[in-house]
Amino acid sequence: MNKPKAYFFPHRPQPGRRGRLRLPSKLRSIQLIITLTFTAVTVLVAVIVSFMLYNKFSATAEANANMNMQQIIEQVNYNLELYVKGMGNIFETAEEHITSSPSIDSPLLSERMDMLMSSREDLVSVAVFTPQGKYVVGTPGQSMRINTQLQSQSWFTSAVKNPEISYSAPHIQNLFKGRYTWVVSISKMIEYKENGQIRKGILLIDFNFRTIDELSRQVKLGKRGYAYILDPLGNIVYHPQQQLIYAGLKYENVEPVLEYKFRSYLDESTGEKRFITVRTLDLTGWKIVGVAYYDEIVTTKRDLNHFLAWFLGVVIVGVIVLSILLSWLIASPIRKLERTVKLVGEGDLNTPIHVSGAYEVEQLSRRFNMMLQRIRQLMDQIIYEQETKRKGELEVLQSQINPHFLYNTLNSVIRLAERGKTDEVVTMIQSLSKFFRISLSKGKNMITMQEELDHIRHYLVIQSFRFKNKFRYEIRAEEEVLAYQTIKLILQPIVENALYHGIEMLPDEGLITITAGLQEGLIVIRVSDNGLGMSKETLGTLLSGGGKSSSGSGVGVRNVNERIGLVYGREYGLAFESELEEGTTVTICFPAVKAGEGPEEGREESVQ
Amino acid sequence: MKSLRLGLVLLLCAVLGLAVTSCLGTSPAYISSNKTHNVHMIVKMNRGDYWNTVKLGAEAAAKEFNVKLTFKAPDSESDIDEQITMVEESIKQKADVIILAASSYMGLAQVVDQAEYYRIPVISVDAEVGSAKVKTYVGSNGYEAGQKSAERLIDLLNGYGEIGIINFTNSTSGQTSSTGTIDYGARDADEREKGFLNYAARFPNVEVVQISYTSSNTADAEQLTRDMLHSHPNLRGIATLNETASQGAGKVIQELGPSPLKMVAFDSSPSMLEMLQDGTVQATVIQNPFNNGYLAVKYAVEATEGMDVPERVDTGTKLIDLDNMLWPENQKLLFPFVR
Repeated sequence: MNKPKAYFFPHRPQPGRRGRLRLPSKLRSIQLIITLTFTAVTVLVAVIVSFMLYNKFSATAEANANMNMQQIIEQVNYNLELYVKGMGNIFETAEEHITSSPSIDSPLLSERMDMLMSSREDLVSVAVFTPQGKYVVGTPGQSMRINTQLQSQSWFTSAVKNPEISYSAPHIQNLFKGRYTWVVSISKMIEYKENGQIRKGILLIDFNFRTIDELSRQVKLGKRGYAYILDPLGNIVYHPQQQLIYAGLKYENVEPVLEYKFRSYLDESTGEKRFITVRTLDLTGWKIVGVAYYDEIVTTKRDLNHFLAWFLGVVIVGVIVLSILLSWLIASPIRKLERTVKLVGEGDLNTPIHVSGAYEVEQLSRRFNMMLQRIRQLMDQIIYEQETKRKGELEVLQSQINPHFLYNTLNSVIRLAERGKTDEVVTMIQSLSKFFRISLSKGKNMITMQEELDHIRHYLVIQSFRFKNKFRYEIRAEEEVLAYQTIKLILQPIVENALYHGIEMLPDEGLITITAGLQEGLIVIRVSDNGLGMSKETLGTLLSGGGKSSSGSGVGVRNVNERIGLVYGREYGLAFESELEEGTTVTICFPAVKAGEGPEEGREESVQ
Repeated sequence: MKSLRLGLVLLLCAVLGLAVTSCLGTSPAYISSNKTHNVHMIVKMNRGDYWNTVKLGAEAAAKEFNVKLTFKAPDSESDIDEQITMVEESIKQKADVIILAASSYMGLAQVVDQAEYYRIPVISVDAEVGSAKVKTYVGSNGYEAGQKSAERLIDLLNGYGEIGIINFTNSTSGQTSSTGTIDYGARDADEREKGFLNYAARFPNVEVVQISYTSSNTADAEQLTRDMLHSHPNLRGIATLNETASQGAGKVIQELGPSPLKMVAFDSSPSMLEMLQDGTVQATVIQNPFNNGYLAVKYAVEATEGMDVPERVDTGTKLIDLDNMLWPENQKLLFPFVR
């Protein structure tokens, strides 16, 4: 398809095969470009925004979770502190009872101890031992076991060493018959009176884990998070999976916990990220350790993930659909226009273009329509002009050998010859011969002013024989004009007109004056007669085709005007001035072009 | 052409979306599948501190690993038929895993094979079962436990004297069993006895004069002990090889009052520890029932998750006496931290 088009329109720019590398044309379509750009930009923005939001949110969530956890642990710490204080108070109350009692075996003391025991559920036993490990007094109704090894137990040794209240690590209470229970012991060296004597003894109060358990169990740090309690030596006081740890099935990384009193950090020793928060109980030195699993603490993060993933997905799909639609809206009128223009390009100039869409496209289509209309107009004009020109040329061709003129002239020659006016015959024949030579002038269209003026002179010579002193003539030309070019045979029809219409009917002798001059780069030729003149009406119809040159050599004045217009442009041509009974002046005006340099030749060619 | 382009664009967007979701969504690595595992645990007996502790361990694991634990046990350690019925029931109920402490090595073998046929993995705890289909065994080494017991008892006796053993087994024929070609006794009982006898055989002056078998009943064990003491007045030492036997024998010795009779018991029930503390019993060989229960359930879950589980897990045995019973690490073993 391309080949014949290129053949027919050789001056059309061919699709560029040179120059920089270009994408295949389909990939350069407006729709695709808009779709891709729009999608890319929007998706990029969405991704960046989501990413930033995600980071921001997750950081906040993390911080919140961390803070929340610290608050929880703080609360537990506070509760435990209260509890330990309570234990201390009980211990002090017991101590007070014992020291204030006049005798250690008084029934009042025993009653008081009994009351104390029954007041708290988490009290396991109260007892006083001598520094030698002998049982002195204790909760009524309990009897000692044998082989207790109590002197080597930690509560005993620390009470002997340390005057302060000491809290033991969890251990099995094996002193009294009944059940073996896990207890925390509080012990201190106190003084008591026995039989009036002040003695030293170790007061021991054992607490079970009921309350500690309750306090710690409330801690909810996510689904799997928990809290545990360490004593200053790293023994586990409480752990939700205490037995598992005791059994060696679980392991808690306590070393980094023990180093600090107050700390929050991220632990990865188990392979999982865990938030650890440590608080220390001042009274006992116990450490409350909160453990929360990172991936649980930041569930919001995961939710956010899901949300953002969905959000992004929806946005991307939406954007793609939107951009396809948008680009289609923009591109489809352009593509329609392109198809129509293609039709026009293929030669169908009558294709109407009615493309609606964006303002620009509409304008484009309208302008294109106007352009098309103008092209059609110009085409019509060219066709008309070409036709006229050919017709004119044909007429010129015909006039060159006008048989009627030839016949009249020859008749005149014969008459002269019959009368024996040989000289005149010779002059006439000479003029005729020159007249025809210039008329033909080797088929050229353009001749010099010299030739044209010679031509008209010969014509006038011939006519003056025929019209027999009916008129005189004058030809005045400026010297420089002679070398300029002119279209041939433009004067003859005008002079012929002047002769036949202006002078022939004149009773007096007529005068035809032809002047040629150069005015501002224009050649101005005036043909004036002193004949009958014309009315305004006749003058008006002269150039518009109404006035037919009925007689004469037949090359109409209008034809001259047309030819000048076609060759030099519409602004040049003939002008008439006429006054009835006074005469007519025809002015011919066209650009002065020297022979041999003529754009006229080129123009002539391009028109043909 | 347009539809092709549309398709391309949609594909692009799908790929993008997929990339985004795959980037953001990560799965946790720990075993806490949202699936509830249906684990059936069938042990030898529904009484006794030992089995309670096993159950405690199992429950701890069940809580941790999102397991629905069904705990079943016959009334007596010798009730093989009842145990077989229970396994069959579990198969019928389509348990995900069955954890079995077999009362009889061979007696339960067939039903275990049957479970395997229904693609239910079986895990042995405490006592092995005579089936190659068992995934894993979690428990102590009975032979080693028996040797430890013998070592301590012979040490206590200064290397000479008559020894009586009270063991447990499930064969109804009583004392004459376990010599037949088919071993219907519980595997752990056999192993312990073998370990004890093999160790004792090294000492020419030590004579195992009688081995009695109790049917998991304290009163029965007491009677057996009395009979043994009656028929062997020169008896210097008694070794008991399970909890019930230990309790029965311990009670008899306690009733006798101070005597030169030495006894090495088995397992760590609270009453046994009291006897240990007051000197009735000189030592006891303990196992790790809590760990047994816990690990059995843990491996059960791992087995259903398709992870590799070890073929055999030895949770260890330990000899406890008055001196070391209060060592912190032993405290933790002896007294389950029960709330």
